[in-house]
Amino acid sequence: MSTNPILKISKVSRTFGAIQALKEANFEINEGEIMGLVGENGAGKSTLVKIISGFDPGFKGSYQINGKEVKFETPSQAEESGIAIAQQELSLIPNMSVAENIFLTGAKVKKFATLNTLAKMARPYLDEVGLTEVDPTTRINLLSVGEQHLVEVARLISREAKILILDEPTAALGEAESRRILEMVERLAANGKSIIYVSHRLDEIFKITKRITILRDGVSQGIQETKDIDVNKLVEIMLGRELANMFPSKADHISDDPKLEVKELWPDGVLEPVSFSAFKGEILGLSGQLGSGAGEVLASIAGALQSRSGSLTLNGETFLPKSPSHAIKKKIAYCSSDRKKDGLFLGRPIFENLTSPALGAISKYGFNFGSSEDNYSRNLAKEFLIDVKRMHDESGLLSGGNQQKVALGKWLSIKPDVLLVNEPTRGVDVGAKSEIYQRMRELAARGITIIFASTDIQEITYLPDRVITFYRGMMIDEHRLEQIKTPVILKEITDPFNETNL
Amino acid sequence: MSAIIENNQLPFSAKFLQFYKDRTLLAILLSLFAVMFIYGIFFTENYLTITNFKAIIRDAALYGIMAIGLTFVTLSGNFFLLSLKETASICGVTFAMGMATGFGSPDLAGNFLVSLLAALAVGVVSGVIQGYFVGMGGNPIVVTLGGAGILYGIGAWWSDNLVINFTRPHDAEWLGTGSFLGLPSITWSFILIAIAAEIVLRHTNFGRKVYLVGANKAAGKATGHENFSMAIIVFTICSVCCAFVAVAFVAQMDSAQSNYFSAEFGSSGDMTILVIATVMVGGNSIMGGYGSTLRTSLGAIFIAMVDNMMVLQGFNSGPRIVGVGLMIVFSIIVFGLFAKGSRAQE
Repeated sequence: MSTNPILKISKVSRTFGAIQALKEANFEINEGEIMGLVGENGAGKSTLVKIISGFDPGFKGSYQINGKEVKFETPSQAEESGIAIAQQELSLIPNMSVAENIFLTGAKVKKFATLNTLAKMARPYLDEVGLTEVDPTTRINLLSVGEQHLVEVARLISREAKILILDEPTAALGEAESRRILEMVERLAANGKSIIYVSHRLDEIFKITKRITILRDGVSQGIQETKDIDVNKLVEIMLGRELANMFPSKADHISDDPKLEVKELWPDGVLEPVSFSAFKGEILGLSGQLGSGAGEVLASIAGALQSRSGSLTLNGETFLPKSPSHAIKKKIAYCSSDRKKDGLFLGRPIFENLTSPALGAISKYGFNFGSSEDNYSRNLAKEFLIDVKRMHDESGLLSGGNQQKVALGKWLSIKPDVLLVNEPTRGVDVGAKSEIYQRMRELAARGITIIFASTDIQEITYLPDRVITFYRGMMIDEHRLEQIKTPVILKEITDPFNETNL
Repeated sequence: MSAIIENNQLPFSAKFLQFYKDRTLLAILLSLFAVMFIYGIFFTENYLTITNFKAIIRDAALYGIMAIGLTFVTLSGNFFLLSLKETASICGVTFAMGMATGFGSPDLAGNFLVSLLAALAVGVVSGVIQGYFVGMGGNPIVVTLGGAGILYGIGAWWSDNLVINFTRPHDAEWLGTGSFLGLPSITWSFILIAIAAEIVLRHTNFGRKVYLVGANKAAGKATGHENFSMAIIVFTICSVCCAFVAVAFVAQMDSAQSNYFSAEFGSSGDMTILVIATVMVGGNSIMGGYGSTLRTSLGAIFIAMVDNMMVLQGFNSGPRIVGVGLMIVFSIIVFGLFAKGSRAQE
């Protein structure tokens, strides 16, 4: 292992405005090595990946390939040096054949090539990624998502990539498909390719990598030999120590007065019907990775996602919300994970966003002449620490943290009994995070039942009074107050059935 | 944050500038008005007369009313109702049928109220049906293009493509050619409808919902405002506006034919294009969520002013239609440029 690294990055930093996404990151990879890259959300993983793959030339620090200093202005320059990235969102064209997708850029292809020629050319690359049984003339949209990932990698190999970055390749995949990806990664490494494997799934990281680079708050925490550390040690390095004081203290006890009872709810993305209750004034966390079903359960309680069966009991009424407006009438508020998509009216002023779910409350006979809306939105803004002077600004002009406060704060306008929040702090800076946690705790203390889903392991450990864990569409376990422990939860959301024998 | 100064501490001139900075598009439109006006005064004969300005507003009224209806559709993010002239056509035929024949019962022949209600009812039905399909997720362009064919076809079929005449004196003269306090009835209608529409958009929950749903359909759904009912209502509003304009136009002509609104309508060619041009020239966002009926009304008057000036300068209809086309292109370019600077682009 004393060979010179094929790629070496040292003392790299990157700032976006006032936010320092990377403070000091070092990274290296040898030929034929699988290097794991881990870190919690917002630790700077994606920034580092963008820098390596040439998407982001605006960084400071040194970037060497084979000992030579390089500077990539565009991703295609990085590609010429043999660095390629397979992103989470695939860039394949669904209506074209596998072979056409592999040779999409047209490099190495004659001006007039038939599909058969392309298919013959594609064969070796498909074999290399383990798609031996796939006909290269098949259309992409007839393949499974896992197979599509493999095709994407085959395309990168066809362009003679030597260093491959795989960004969460298994995030949306089931067990069997994930295994194929891991097999492919190992085969490619054996063939001399270097692989940077970015994943939240620690079981996979331990299974296939030789070394692991851990990022925390934009600083790389040294390179660990995989065989020398275990999950607990890794999580400890990932999270650091001093995070607990970002969170408000938990409730003293959990009320035993069930506020919302969820019975046999069964939306798409969940394997079996789910039942649980949420108590008055508690914060309940649903923990699970992408595809675990936690978010889907939340959305179906809010009527945003249809459930095949089941019912909710709230305030003595039993019903199953058919639409968000139905749920809103029953005083269930739902703040989705993607505020830009369906959380905010970005082009409209802040005050309109804040009162949008409760137009009836600010008007008389359907008419609204502003004064009552003004008071109403100002109070909401004060409560959620939104700058009252900016009420008439477009909400799209706010920072991520303030946008999230508006997206969340608008739901107070309906005076909810149950507040559902999917990913309460995605893409939010640390200061705003802390404020949002504080606000959520205050609302719970007022008697509102809060249920949130999160993939952020800190949040799920320190914020809620009770945690329910999910794994690939199944409900696994429940923990209360002091029984909520990071390693236990991590184990349950990544590998509850000991499939990897760590 | 300390740099933020409360608005009411600013001197008047600064406030005035700030007002126009926030409303770049409005400012551009008003400056264009001024340029047109000054050019008109110095280079066009008979421009600065009350008669001429009455004529301008009267011209603006017909497509202005339809454009106000269309503004609701566009603001709510449902793009356009492309069956504007066809809706007007079938409603005009309906009205003329009522005036001429009373729909088969001679007692009702010439009854203005019955004919008017029948025409408006046809507008409501066509609006509800088209809105229903759009609300169900249909593409507004496709749905209303299909609707256009069906509506025009039914009107032509029903009237055998003939001109339906009804003779003066009739009960609809006051709307067609009458006037009140020196202004034609259609001008009054335009003014009243413009004011009512602006109040609805600014000061009712429905108006707010139009903007919210137009700004973001998914967020609208999440906050309980579904595009389904919204689409039905806005398409109905738009179709009823078309019906009203058709009635006024037919009352003026004492006759109707299914192609009245297709060729050479008013002075500037195709009605649908003219109305869409009005909404665009007013600076309303094609994607919805931004704009107002006030802008549309100003757009209507602006187009009428340009057209009027070209008439006075002796252009015939070909170049004038080119003029309308250029105005659409120009307004889209200007809107595109300034929308980038003033609105969040993420």
